[in-house]
Amino acid sequence: MNDETQLKLQAYLDGELPSAERNEVEALLAQDADAKALFAELGNTTKALAGFEAGIKLPESREFYWSKIQREIGRQPAQTQRPAPLFAERLRRLLVPASVCAAAVIAVAIILPQLRQQGVVLTDSDDAGIFTYHNYEAGATLVWLDYPAENNFADIEVDDIFDL
Amino acid sequence: MADKDYSSTSDEELVAMARQGDMVAFEELVARHRDKIFARAFTMMRNEEEAIDLSQEAWIKGWQRLEQFHGDSSFTTWMTRIVINLCLDQLRRRKKRQTESIEEMNEESGGVERQMPVVTVNPTERLERADLRARIDRALNQLSDVHRTVLVLHEFEEMEYKNIARTMNCSIGTVMSRLFYARRKMASLLADLNKQE
Repeated sequence: MNDETQLKLQAYLDGELPSAERNEVEALLAQDADAKALFAELGNTTKALAGFEAGIKLPESREFYWSKIQREIGRQPAQTQRPAPLFAERLRRLLVPASVCAAAVIAVAIILPQLRQQGVVLTDSDDAGIFTYHNYEAGATLVWLDYPAENNFADIEVDDIFDL
Repeated sequence: MADKDYSSTSDEELVAMARQGDMVAFEELVARHRDKIFARAFTMMRNEEEAIDLSQEAWIKGWQRLEQFHGDSSFTTWMTRIVINLCLDQLRRRKKRQTESIEEMNEESGGVERQMPVVTVNPTERLERADLRARIDRALNQLSDVHRTVLVLHEFEEMEYKNIARTMNCSIGTVMSRLFYARRKMASLLADLNKQE
Protein backbone atom coordinates (compact mmCIF):
# COMPACT_ATOMS: atom_id res chain seq x y z
CA MET A 1 0.00 0.00 0.00
CA ASN A 2 1.56 3.31 -0.99
CA ASP A 3 1.51 6.60 0.97
CA GLU A 4 -1.30 8.08 -1.07
CA THR A 5 -3.55 5.07 -0.50
CA GLN A 6 -2.88 5.18 3.25
CA LEU A 7 -3.86 8.84 3.41
CA LYS A 8 -6.95 8.10 1.32
CA LEU A 9 -7.96 5.46 3.85
CA GLN A 10 -7.67 8.03 6.60
CA ALA A 11 -9.60 10.64 4.61
CA TYR A 12 -12.32 8.03 4.06
CA LEU A 13 -12.47 7.38 7.81
CA ASP A 14 -12.77 11.12 8.47
CA GLY A 15 -15.44 11.63 5.83
CA GLU A 16 -13.13 13.91 3.86
CA LEU A 17 -12.66 11.81 0.75
CA PRO A 18 -14.35 13.12 -2.41
CA SER A 19 -17.30 10.96 -3.40
CA ALA A 20 -15.61 9.97 -6.66
CA GLU A 21 -12.86 8.18 -4.73
CA ARG A 22 -14.98 6.51 -2.06
CA ASN A 23 -15.86 3.48 -4.20
CA GLU A 24 -12.19 2.88 -4.84
CA VAL A 25 -11.40 2.82 -1.10
CA GLU A 26 -14.42 0.66 -0.30
CA ALA A 27 -13.27 -1.88 -2.88
CA LEU A 28 -9.80 -1.86 -1.38
CA LEU A 29 -11.15 -2.43 2.12
CA ALA A 30 -13.21 -5.36 0.87
CA GLN A 31 -10.27 -7.20 -0.64
CA ASP A 32 -7.07 -6.05 1.09
CA ALA A 33 -6.47 -7.36 4.64
CA ASP A 34 -3.64 -4.87 5.32
CA ALA A 35 -5.83 -1.96 4.34
CA LYS A 36 -8.61 -3.30 6.54
CA ALA A 37 -6.25 -3.68 9.53
CA LEU A 38 -4.84 -0.17 9.10
CA PHE A 39 -8.32 1.25 8.79
CA ALA A 40 -9.33 -0.49 12.03
CA GLU A 41 -6.22 0.82 13.82
CA LEU A 42 -6.92 4.42 12.80
CA GLY A 43 -10.54 4.04 13.88
CA ASN A 44 -9.60 2.50 17.24
CA THR A 45 -7.35 5.48 18.06
CA THR A 46 -10.24 7.82 17.37
CA LYS A 47 -12.55 5.74 19.58
CA ALA A 48 -9.98 5.59 22.38
CA LEU A 49 -9.69 9.39 22.44
CA ALA A 50 -13.44 9.96 22.56
CA GLY A 51 -14.44 11.45 25.88
CA PHE A 52 -10.84 11.74 27.08
CA GLU A 53 -11.08 15.45 27.94
CA ALA A 54 -14.30 15.01 29.88
CA GLY A 55 -12.32 13.47 32.72
CA ILE A 56 -9.94 16.41 33.10
CA LYS A 57 -10.82 18.69 36.00
CA LEU A 58 -9.36 22.04 36.90
CA PRO A 59 -7.17 21.51 39.98
CA GLU A 60 -8.20 24.82 41.59
CA SER A 61 -11.26 25.97 43.50
CA ARG A 62 -13.81 28.13 41.75
CA GLU A 63 -13.01 31.12 43.97
CA PHE A 64 -9.24 30.93 43.62
CA TYR A 65 -9.41 30.47 39.86
CA TRP A 66 -11.88 33.34 39.42
CA SER A 67 -9.97 35.72 41.68
CA LYS A 68 -7.05 36.03 39.25
CA ILE A 69 -9.38 36.53 36.28
CA GLN A 70 -11.34 39.17 38.17
CA ARG A 71 -8.16 40.95 39.22
CA GLU A 72 -6.83 41.04 35.65
CA ILE A 73 -10.15 42.21 34.23
CA GLY A 74 -10.16 45.03 36.75
CA ARG A 75 -6.62 45.96 35.84
CA GLN A 76 -6.96 45.74 32.04
CA PRO A 77 -8.46 49.10 31.05
CA ALA A 78 -5.67 51.09 32.64
CA GLN A 79 -3.03 48.88 31.03
CA THR A 80 -4.38 48.33 27.56
CA GLN A 81 -6.08 51.59 26.65
CA ARG A 82 -3.50 53.90 25.24
CA PRO A 83 -4.66 57.51 25.50
CA ALA A 84 -4.95 59.07 22.05
CA PRO A 85 -2.41 61.86 21.56
CA LEU A 86 -3.83 65.32 22.08
CA PHE A 87 -4.52 67.43 19.00
CA ALA A 88 -1.78 69.87 19.98
CA GLU A 89 0.70 67.03 20.29
CA ARG A 90 -0.24 65.64 16.88
CA LEU A 91 0.10 69.12 15.39
CA ARG A 92 3.50 69.53 17.03
CA ARG A 93 4.73 66.23 15.58
CA LEU A 94 3.71 67.39 12.12
CA LEU A 95 4.83 71.00 12.28
CA VAL A 96 8.27 70.65 13.85
CA PRO A 97 9.91 68.68 11.03
CA ALA A 98 7.99 70.69 8.41
CA SER A 99 9.14 74.04 9.81
CA VAL A 100 12.75 72.85 10.06
CA CYS A 101 12.68 71.89 6.39
CA ALA A 102 11.05 75.18 5.41
CA ALA A 103 13.65 77.18 7.37
CA ALA A 104 16.45 75.25 5.68
CA VAL A 105 15.06 75.93 2.20
CA ILE A 106 14.65 79.67 2.96
CA ALA A 107 18.16 79.88 4.39
CA VAL A 108 19.65 78.22 1.32
CA ALA A 109 17.64 80.48 -0.97
CA ILE A 110 18.98 83.59 0.79
CA ILE A 111 22.57 82.50 1.34
CA LEU A 112 23.25 80.81 -2.02
CA PRO A 113 23.32 84.00 -4.18
CA GLN A 114 25.57 85.72 -1.63
CA LEU A 115 27.98 82.79 -1.54
CA ARG A 116 28.10 82.59 -5.34
CA GLN A 117 29.11 86.28 -5.40
CA GLN A 118 31.96 85.47 -2.98
CA GLY A 119 33.22 82.64 -5.23
CA VAL A 120 31.91 79.88 -3.03
CA VAL A 121 29.93 76.96 -4.47
CA LEU A 122 27.01 75.39 -2.69
CA THR A 123 25.45 72.39 -4.47
CA ASP A 124 22.56 70.16 -3.61
CA SER A 125 22.86 66.49 -4.55
CA ASP A 126 20.23 64.05 -5.92
CA ASP A 127 19.17 63.44 -2.36
CA ALA A 128 17.02 66.43 -1.35
CA GLY A 129 18.27 66.25 2.24
CA ILE A 130 22.00 66.69 1.44
CA PHE A 131 23.71 70.02 0.76
CA THR A 132 27.43 70.40 0.02
CA TYR A 133 29.44 73.58 0.65
CA HIS A 134 32.78 74.13 -1.12
CA ASN A 135 35.14 76.96 -0.40
CA TYR A 136 37.95 76.67 -2.92
CA GLU A 137 39.94 79.51 -1.42
CA ALA A 138 39.98 77.87 1.99
CA GLY A 139 40.19 74.36 0.48
CA ALA A 140 37.23 73.24 2.63
CA THR A 141 34.15 71.07 1.95
CA LEU A 142 31.17 70.85 4.27
CA VAL A 143 28.37 68.30 3.84
CA TRP A 144 25.02 69.12 5.53
CA LEU A 145 22.52 66.30 6.13
CA ASP A 146 18.96 67.47 6.73
CA TYR A 147 17.24 64.26 7.86
CA PRO A 148 14.43 64.48 10.46
CA ALA A 149 15.51 63.40 13.91
CA GLU A 150 12.22 61.73 14.84
CA ASN A 151 12.00 57.96 14.62
CA ASN A 152 8.45 56.93 13.65
CA PHE A 153 9.01 53.31 14.69
CA ALA A 154 9.28 54.41 18.27
CA ASP A 155 5.53 55.00 18.26
CA ILE A 156 4.74 51.34 17.47
CA GLU A 157 4.05 49.10 20.43
CA VAL A 158 4.46 45.35 20.64
CA ASP A 159 0.68 44.94 20.96
CA ASP A 160 0.25 46.50 17.54
CA ILE A 161 2.51 43.90 15.96
CA PHE A 162 1.35 40.78 17.77
CA ASP A 163 -2.37 41.41 17.94
CA LEU A 164 -3.89 38.38 19.70
CA MET B 1 -30.80 42.06 39.31
CA ALA B 2 -29.78 41.23 42.87
CA ASP B 3 -32.41 38.48 43.09
CA LYS B 4 -31.38 36.90 39.83
CA ASP B 5 -30.67 33.18 40.04
CA TYR B 6 -27.60 32.98 37.86
CA SER B 7 -27.23 29.21 38.16
CA SER B 8 -30.48 28.62 36.29
CA THR B 9 -29.84 31.25 33.64
CA SER B 10 -28.88 30.12 30.13
CA ASP B 11 -25.47 30.82 28.64
CA GLU B 12 -27.02 33.18 26.10
CA GLU B 13 -28.66 35.26 28.80
CA LEU B 14 -25.50 35.29 30.89
CA VAL B 15 -23.49 36.48 27.89
CA ALA B 16 -26.00 39.27 27.27
CA MET B 17 -25.79 40.30 30.93
CA ALA B 18 -21.99 40.13 30.93
CA ARG B 19 -21.95 42.38 27.89
CA GLN B 20 -23.75 44.98 29.99
CA GLY B 21 -20.89 44.75 32.47
CA ASP B 22 -22.38 42.16 34.84
CA MET B 23 -19.30 40.46 36.30
CA VAL B 24 -21.37 38.02 38.35
CA ALA B 25 -22.92 36.71 35.12
CA PHE B 26 -19.47 36.29 33.64
CA GLU B 27 -18.25 34.51 36.76
CA GLU B 28 -21.12 32.05 36.36
CA LEU B 29 -20.00 31.36 32.78
CA VAL B 30 -16.45 30.78 34.01
CA ALA B 31 -17.67 28.43 36.72
CA ARG B 32 -19.76 26.46 34.24
CA HIS B 33 -17.12 25.97 31.57
CA ARG B 34 -13.79 26.29 33.35
CA ASP B 35 -13.10 22.52 33.29
CA LYS B 36 -13.62 22.30 29.54
CA ILE B 37 -11.44 25.31 28.78
CA PHE B 38 -8.73 24.12 31.14
CA ALA B 39 -8.93 20.57 29.70
CA ARG B 40 -8.34 21.85 26.17
CA ALA B 41 -5.34 23.90 27.30
CA PHE B 42 -3.96 20.98 29.28
CA THR B 43 -4.36 18.51 26.42
CA MET B 44 -2.43 20.84 24.15
CA MET B 45 0.25 22.04 26.55
CA ARG B 46 0.73 18.97 28.80
CA ASN B 47 1.65 21.25 31.67
CA GLU B 48 -0.84 21.96 34.43
CA GLU B 49 0.45 25.36 35.49
CA GLU B 50 0.74 26.61 31.93
CA ALA B 51 -2.75 25.31 31.18
CA ILE B 52 -4.21 27.14 34.18
CA ASP B 53 -2.53 30.40 33.15
CA LEU B 54 -3.58 30.10 29.51
CA SER B 55 -7.14 29.20 30.38
CA GLN B 56 -7.37 32.21 32.69
CA GLU B 57 -5.91 34.41 29.97
CA ALA B 58 -8.57 33.03 27.62
CA TRP B 59 -11.33 34.09 30.02
CA ILE B 60 -9.85 37.57 30.28
CA LYS B 61 -9.74 37.85 26.48
CA GLY B 62 -13.27 36.47 26.34
CA TRP B 63 -14.49 39.24 28.63
CA GLN B 64 -12.69 41.89 26.59
CA ARG B 65 -14.09 40.57 23.31
CA LEU B 66 -17.65 39.81 24.32
CA GLU B 67 -18.82 42.42 21.82
CA GLN B 68 -17.35 40.27 19.06
CA PHE B 69 -19.36 37.20 20.05
CA HIS B 70 -22.41 37.13 17.80
CA GLY B 71 -23.79 33.74 18.79
CA ASP B 72 -22.87 32.04 15.49
CA SER B 73 -21.54 29.17 17.57
CA SER B 74 -22.09 28.27 21.21
CA PHE B 75 -20.31 30.32 23.85
CA THR B 76 -18.13 27.34 24.83
CA THR B 77 -17.09 26.76 21.21
CA TRP B 78 -16.13 30.43 20.97
CA MET B 79 -14.18 30.28 24.24
CA THR B 80 -12.50 27.03 23.17
CA ARG B 81 -11.25 28.71 20.00
CA ILE B 82 -9.78 31.53 22.08
CA VAL B 83 -7.89 29.14 24.35
CA ILE B 84 -6.68 27.10 21.35
CA ASN B 85 -5.28 30.26 19.74
CA LEU B 86 -3.51 31.19 22.95
CA CYS B 87 -2.05 27.68 23.20
CA LEU B 88 -0.88 27.80 19.59
CA ASP B 89 0.83 31.14 20.23
CA GLN B 90 2.49 29.70 23.30
CA LEU B 91 3.61 26.59 21.40
CA ARG B 92 5.10 28.78 18.67
CA ARG B 93 7.02 30.75 21.27
CA ARG B 94 8.11 27.50 22.90
CA LYS B 95 9.30 26.17 19.56
CA LYS B 96 11.39 29.25 18.97
CA ARG B 97 13.15 28.58 22.23
CA GLN B 98 13.71 24.90 21.55
CA THR B 99 15.71 23.31 18.80
CA GLU B 100 12.62 21.63 17.42
CA SER B 101 11.66 23.00 14.01
CA ILE B 102 8.92 22.52 11.45
CA GLU B 103 11.49 20.97 9.12
CA GLU B 104 12.36 18.36 11.72
CA MET B 105 8.68 17.63 12.18
CA ASN B 106 8.20 17.22 8.45
CA GLU B 107 11.05 14.75 8.39
CA GLU B 108 9.50 12.90 11.29
CA SER B 109 6.20 12.55 9.49
CA GLY B 110 7.87 11.69 6.20
CA GLY B 111 7.67 7.94 6.33
CA VAL B 112 8.44 6.54 9.78
CA GLU B 113 4.79 5.92 10.53
CA ARG B 114 4.37 3.95 7.34
CA GLN B 115 6.85 1.36 8.55
CA MET B 116 5.15 0.79 11.90
CA PRO B 117 3.42 -2.57 12.23
CA VAL B 118 -0.33 -2.23 12.37
CA VAL B 119 -1.72 -2.50 15.91
CA THR B 120 -4.47 -5.08 15.90
CA VAL B 121 -5.46 -4.80 19.57
CA ASN B 122 -8.23 -2.33 20.27
CA PRO B 123 -6.97 -0.19 23.20
CA THR B 124 -10.49 0.47 24.41
CA GLU B 125 -11.22 -3.21 25.01
CA ARG B 126 -11.04 -4.70 28.51
CA LEU B 127 -10.02 -1.41 30.04
CA GLU B 128 -11.73 0.75 32.60
CA ARG B 129 -12.24 4.30 31.38
CA ALA B 130 -9.89 5.64 34.06
CA ASP B 131 -7.12 3.22 33.04
CA LEU B 132 -7.52 4.11 29.40
CA ARG B 133 -7.45 7.81 30.25
CA ALA B 134 -4.21 7.40 32.18
CA ARG B 135 -2.66 5.55 29.26
CA ILE B 136 -3.77 8.15 26.75
CA ASP B 137 -2.38 10.80 29.05
CA ARG B 138 1.05 9.17 29.00
CA ALA B 139 0.91 8.59 25.26
CA LEU B 140 -0.02 12.23 24.56
CA ASN B 141 3.04 13.29 26.55
CA GLN B 142 5.20 11.43 24.09
CA LEU B 143 3.84 13.11 20.98
CA SER B 144 5.53 16.22 19.64
CA ASP B 145 3.69 19.53 19.94
CA VAL B 146 2.65 19.65 16.28
CA HIS B 147 1.38 16.08 16.21
CA ARG B 148 -0.54 16.47 19.45
CA THR B 149 -2.01 19.76 18.20
CA VAL B 150 -3.26 18.26 14.94
CA LEU B 151 -4.77 15.36 16.88
CA VAL B 152 -6.51 17.70 19.33
CA LEU B 153 -7.89 19.93 16.58
CA HIS B 154 -9.22 16.95 14.66
CA GLU B 155 -10.35 14.54 17.35
CA PHE B 156 -11.54 16.92 20.07
CA GLU B 157 -12.33 20.11 18.19
CA GLU B 158 -13.67 18.13 15.21
CA MET B 159 -12.13 20.54 12.75
CA GLU B 160 -11.94 19.68 9.06
CA TYR B 161 -8.55 19.30 7.39
CA LYS B 162 -8.82 22.67 5.64
CA ASN B 163 -9.57 24.50 8.88
CA ILE B 164 -6.70 22.76 10.68
CA ALA B 165 -4.41 23.76 7.80
CA ARG B 166 -5.52 27.37 8.16
CA THR B 167 -5.12 27.31 11.93
CA MET B 168 -1.68 25.70 11.82
CA ASN B 169 -0.58 27.67 8.77
CA CYS B 170 0.35 24.63 6.69
CA SER B 171 -0.98 22.69 3.71
CA ILE B 172 -3.84 20.17 3.83
CA GLY B 173 -1.35 17.50 2.78
CA THR B 174 0.81 18.29 5.79
CA VAL B 175 -2.25 18.10 8.05
CA MET B 176 -3.15 14.67 6.66
CA SER B 177 0.38 13.43 7.03
CA ARG B 178 0.74 14.73 10.59
CA LEU B 179 -2.63 13.36 11.62
CA PHE B 180 -1.75 9.98 10.15
CA TYR B 181 1.54 9.94 12.04
CA ALA B 182 -0.10 11.07 15.28
CA ARG B 183 -2.78 8.38 15.13
CA ARG B 184 -0.33 5.61 14.30
CA LYS B 185 2.05 6.75 17.01
CA MET B 186 -0.79 6.83 19.54
CA ALA B 187 -1.85 3.32 18.54
CA SER B 188 1.70 2.13 18.89
CA LEU B 189 2.20 3.83 22.27
CA LEU B 190 -1.06 2.48 23.64
CA ALA B 191 -0.10 -1.02 22.46
CA ASP B 192 3.32 -0.69 24.16
CA LEU B 193 1.64 0.37 27.37
CA ASN B 194 -0.58 -2.70 27.08
CA LYS B 195 2.49 -4.92 26.79
CA GLN B 196 4.26 -3.27 29.73
CA GLU B 197 1.43 -3.97 32.13
